[in-house]
Amino acid sequence: MGFQTSEEKISLQQNLRKNISLESSTQNLEEIVITERKNIANIKKPEMSVNKLTIQEIKKMPAVMGETDILKSILQLPGVTNAGEGASGFNVRGGAADQNLILLDEALLYNSSHLFGFFSVFNSDAIKDLKLYKGGIPSRFGGRVSSVLDIYQKEGNSNEFHMNGGIGVISSRLLAEGPLEKGKGSFLVAGRSSYAHLFLKLTDNKNSAYFYDLNTKLSYKLNENNSLFLSGYFGRDVFDIGDQFNNVYGNAVLNLRWNHLYSEKLFSNLSMIYSDYYYGLKLDVAGLNWDSGIKNYNIKYDFKHYISDRYKMTYGLNAVYYDFNPGTVSPTGASSGINREQLDKKYALEPALYVDAEHEITDKLSINYGFRYSMFYRMGQQDMNIYANNEAVTFNPELQIYEKGKPIGTEHFGSGKTIASFDNLEPRLAVSYQLDDNQSIKASYNRMSQYIHLVSNTASPTPLDVWAPSDNFIKPQLLDQVALGYFHNDDYTLETEIYYKKVKNRIDYIDGADLIANKAIEQVILNGRSRSYGLEVLLRKNSGKLNGWISYTLSRSEQQTPGRTALETGINNGKWYSTGYDKTHNLAVTASYKLTEKWSFGSTFALQSGQPVTFPNGQYEYGGVIVPSYGARNEDRLPAYHHLDVSATYIPKPDKKKGWQGEWVFSIYNLYNRMNSASMTFRQNEDTGRNEAVRLSIFGFIPSVTYNFKF
Amino acid sequence: MKNIKYIALLFLSVLCFSCEEVVDVDLKTAPPRLVIDASIDWVKGTDGTTQKIKLTTTTGYFQNVIPVVSNATVFVTNSSNTVFTFTETPGTGEYICSDFQAVIGETYVLTVVHNGQTYTATEKMTAVPDITRTEQNNEGGFSNDEIEVKFFYNDNGQEDNFYLSKFETSRLPYPDYDVLDDKFFQGNEMFGLFTHEDFKPGDQLKISLLGISERYYNYMYILIGIAEGAGGGPFQTTPANVRGNIVNQTDKNNYALGYFRVSERTELIYTIQ
Repeated sequence: MGFQTSEEKISLQQNLRKNISLESSTQNLEEIVITERKNIANIKKPEMSVNKLTIQEIKKMPAVMGETDILKSILQLPGVTNAGEGASGFNVRGGAADQNLILLDEALLYNSSHLFGFFSVFNSDAIKDLKLYKGGIPSRFGGRVSSVLDIYQKEGNSNEFHMNGGIGVISSRLLAEGPLEKGKGSFLVAGRSSYAHLFLKLTDNKNSAYFYDLNTKLSYKLNENNSLFLSGYFGRDVFDIGDQFNNVYGNAVLNLRWNHLYSEKLFSNLSMIYSDYYYGLKLDVAGLNWDSGIKNYNIKYDFKHYISDRYKMTYGLNAVYYDFNPGTVSPTGASSGINREQLDKKYALEPALYVDAEHEITDKLSINYGFRYSMFYRMGQQDMNIYANNEAVTFNPELQIYEKGKPIGTEHFGSGKTIASFDNLEPRLAVSYQLDDNQSIKASYNRMSQYIHLVSNTASPTPLDVWAPSDNFIKPQLLDQVALGYFHNDDYTLETEIYYKKVKNRIDYIDGADLIANKAIEQVILNGRSRSYGLEVLLRKNSGKLNGWISYTLSRSEQQTPGRTALETGINNGKWYSTGYDKTHNLAVTASYKLTEKWSFGSTFALQSGQPVTFPNGQYEYGGVIVPSYGARNEDRLPAYHHLDVSATYIPKPDKKKGWQGEWVFSIYNLYNRMNSASMTFRQNEDTGRNEAVRLSIFGFIPSVTYNFKF
Repeated sequence: MKNIKYIALLFLSVLCFSCEEVVDVDLKTAPPRLVIDASIDWVKGTDGTTQKIKLTTTTGYFQNVIPVVSNATVFVTNSSNTVFTFTETPGTGEYICSDFQAVIGETYVLTVVHNGQTYTATEKMTAVPDITRTEQNNEGGFSNDEIEVKFFYNDNGQEDNFYLSKFETSRLPYPDYDVLDDKFFQGNEMFGLFTHEDFKPGDQLKISLLGISERYYNYMYILIGIAEGAGGGPFQTTPANVRGNIVNQTDKNNYALGYFRVSERTELIYTIQ
């Protein structure tokens, strides 16, 4: 192969030495068709409750205002919802938004949304793929109880320089990639910015809102056994309203990784990661400047050990140091009446070690087992409040309400002194049993602990919510989850699972808790619990011109905060109530159709139960105003939520594989203009004083066009 | 500070493709509950002898009439057990007293007896500083074109203070309330402000400032939030009934809504320039 045949007749009458130089030939191979069997349910491995999406699949989905959105795409998966259109964050299997571990190249992100939840912080051009773990979470992950969203950035092209980008209605993107010392390394730099605010400026509107982000990845191969990687992300949202309200927030992360092969069987990865979340606010009306944030330094050393064909181990160490700034208040100028104040900074260290084994016991039976041992040290320097009976929240038995406790003193903890410490052993177990080549059943159990909490009493987090570490009053959240699944693989794949999970020490807030700039959060918090359970079905068609999936989830998510003693009522009278993101039914259909090489189409449809809300069950008059009166929490529902989005992609020159290549993406969000309720407000009409119910819908019919290019 | 969330929501409704629409919603109606609106205000410069307490009940959210409660027994006692009786103007649910003795720092106890249930509440009269000056800015509001009125007062730096401000204008069919504490302003000059897009020169704005207790501050903080509109959505907290300081001594679970407040009050009428 590879050379032309050379024929020469020789008569062998004597010893003869002859060098034949063969001329190389050009291979004329038939086109090799590699049948791609992507997204096929993993039958053999015990891994379950995991969904993988590649960026190609995500890009096939229609996007709101043409901006491909990774977080919106995971909402099409079973077990994933959010607290309504335009809400930031997402909820996995009835868990809260702060219970998701969001990792970008292993670095922790604290806020996943731009513009209060309209766009995700991930620039789709710079992303390779994502993996969402909803259960059976491997022991290398820890620190959040509900899920892990593990996102990897693309590595740059190590052979040639390329650029690509897109021009959309709301934002534009540009990415450059290429080799660093050809064959040895590569770089990738991507930027994205919205520019709708520029149009506002043209119309003499002083309000402005925009976001931008920057992704970067460098990789360099030192030699056969050693590689270095550097990943970075920097994103900011900026709001300016009438020069009176100025708001900036965003994440920044940096990760330096060293990959080392000790032997063919032992791989290692050492990461040093810095993450930062900043929130800043300037309120001219009140003469107030507000800064808050969280910084963390993370070191991780992970090993992968292939002991035999049937036995693989992963183990490692990890330590995160946190530096929380709950708030710095300062005056905007000399005329402001605000006094400068620094809310106590909080410090904590979270070390952990883990071991996981993947063991193929027989051809049919495989087990993953392991544990994570996590520790948490809340550290000074800080003055901690002391309360009578150690109760920061007191119960007023006469009025039957909870009230803020009054500190009876403070205790000073010096720098580095431990204020409170916790440790938890988190066992993880997953089993798979293969029924035949195409079918298997799997079961898993995992325990997880979470030591930091987002202090938020709204249905979906807002950017100004602050994170708080566990201490004497806020206990670590502890989760136990079991899941059982049946998996079938064929032209269609079917993945069905049932799960049950419960969380201890889920914090809840006393009625009317004011969380903003609260110096003593413990005075409005009670430790409760939550539980959720459900059935998930995912049916995929993986080949042919028509591709896609149908996902359906039937579930329930509730929380309860009973009284601490028999005399106390607890929150919501101690009864279980639906969480703000509980959606009984959740159906999502995702389809893509390739008509020709030039034209392809995509479509997504969602139908969900309306989210739980509390509607008034009466009204009364007090001080000349009408006040709605309420019964139990979250007993009503918004109307059902549904919408259909479509997109068409046109590639003018599909055969062109070099030079400038372009494509047009036309999309329509909410095709039939469904006015979904984002909220229902009950209020007095400003002119008539009459009571009215007002529905807020965020997205109507939105057409958009995006032009993508690469060269 | 609570306004930030409203600002966020307002912002979304202004800049994004959102729309608000009044819709019909079927609501359940809970059995009626007693509401006690007992606001004893001693207006500076008056003797404070005439006071009013109003009794009503809850009703269906879309009902147009608030039912009044007649034939209740209403009285207030002070720390030396002097009884001030409130007598109903028949059929109105309004109970009037004309011999009240207002004293700063005095503790008062309210008693209401109705339908065999006895309700009580205790509150101390809180002082208020004077309004020192006012300012008008014709480039206020989010669009910088609304008339904004600011009033100023000096906080007492020796103690933690809580304030209630009330604005009344014919431009709004109901009064506008705001609460403020001196958390960030201890001992400094503080201010309250009010804007209305329809203000015209010559309009009158009545501004009242009251010194209030911390408990009443917490009560009004929640109540204002509920009255301004709640009921779900990403930036909303779960609404709940706000409980005041009134205790049903007969049956704790059959609680009354409302509050017994005892405050010193300063007020002025500002004419838009």
